[in-house]
Amino acid sequence: MKGAVSMELLDELRNIGVDVDEGIERLMGNTSLYERMLFKFADMMKNISVSPDFDDSNYSEITEAAHAVKGSAGNLSITPIYEAYTEIVSLLRAGRTEQAKEIIKGIQPVQADIIACIERYM
Amino acid sequence: MDKKTILIVDDIEINRAVLAEIFKDEYNISEACDGSEAIAAINSGADISAVLLDLIMPNINGLGVLKNMNESGKIKSIPVFLITAADSREMLLEGYNLGAVDIITKPFIAHFLKHRIRNVIELYSYQNELESIVLEQVARLDCMNRSVVEMLATIIEFRDCESGEHVKRICGLTKILLQQVSDMYPEYHLPQREIDKIVTSSVLHDVGKISIPDNILNKPAKLTAEEFEIMKGHTLKGCEILRKIPDIMDAGTYNYSYDICRHHHERWDGRGYPDGLSGDEISIWSQVVSVVDVYDALISERVYKKAFSQDIAVQMIFNGECGAFNPKVLKAFEAAFDKISDNIKNKQ
Repeated sequence: MKGAVSMELLDELRNIGVDVDEGIERLMGNTSLYERMLFKFADMMKNISVSPDFDDSNYSEITEAAHAVKGSAGNLSITPIYEAYTEIVSLLRAGRTEQAKEIIKGIQPVQADIIACIERYM
Repeated sequence: MDKKTILIVDDIEINRAVLAEIFKDEYNISEACDGSEAIAAINSGADISAVLLDLIMPNINGLGVLKNMNESGKIKSIPVFLITAADSREMLLEGYNLGAVDIITKPFIAHFLKHRIRNVIELYSYQNELESIVLEQVARLDCMNRSVVEMLATIIEFRDCESGEHVKRICGLTKILLQQVSDMYPEYHLPQREIDKIVTSSVLHDVGKISIPDNILNKPAKLTAEEFEIMKGHTLKGCEILRKIPDIMDAGTYNYSYDICRHHHERWDGRGYPDGLSGDEISIWSQVVSVVDVYDALISERVYKKAFSQDIAVQMIFNGECGAFNPKVLKAFEAAFDKISDNIKNKQ
């Protein structure tokens, strides 16, 4: 799918809660850049692991990773992921690891769907 | 006009790309993916108009970059915006304390961001421009001050045909001795900028000699008591001349010139003239110029006397043959004697 932007991708993402229009507006209306950034996001998520089985006594790396996901998802308006990670980061910073793990478990399937959707168009 | 440059510092490529897209039409974009790259870019000498700085990054984080900019002083001329997800309040507060101008919260809102950053960049560039204009004007003023003062001194030299080089030597020696006094006796509070002004002002110490008749000023013999009284008048005459032309110098130089002109013949024990001041009633700059003036007169040939060697001149001053001086100033003179001696030799 090089070249033209896939409208199907954008529609599919809309259907699973991504605020595509806000994301594109943030990039000054540059739809193709938005698409490229979605691909970057999918790549980035492959290398970042925020899994619920982290060690309760040492989770600073997980916090940093969650913070990075939150920032990128927010800028691309991938709202479900942004909102979940906003909560995860604030719970982790407050030391409430058990609740953070619950949210991570809850967002994992949604996150997998979104990334799978993007990857189908890469 | 050339585009200004914005440095975007964030370890996440997506965040850099979003910011770059927002600003690329209006600015050149430079990117750094961590604190060390940012520090290298900021210190590379490139003309950066603003830094958009992520706080949380591996290795050197945003606060580290701010600390470095404080050490180099760049924080004063380059506005820094902190990029944040608003979940790190303590870091934000520390960032503000380290001189960041504003906060950009993620997710970005492009239009607001453009306006806010444009406004601050314009404000800073206006301020930087004003600062450089002021610096330039201060330098020009200093230069004009010196020219005017040197012009006056040259006129005196023409009258007093024996002391052609005297004024230049006084300047050199005043600088050496004042610096020594300042190093040894910090209680006199002599910062470098003031020392420079005093040195410029010392040139005018004998401006009043322009009013002394030729037959006295250049008499090839010892002066009579009456003639000496007229000669002593050069201190007050000098002040009279300076009072008529106060606006040709800045206030600081004028005040130093006036004081030195009036008091460079005062003595530590109160037996000098014109006011008979004693001890530290005499300003430290006038005390320094008076020692230097006596020393130079001793080692110079005059129509009424031969030149003494530098060693003999020092002995005469320390023996009190030329009046009493502040022991601190004499100690400083002793400590700086090699430099003084070299300075004289180089001018001969």
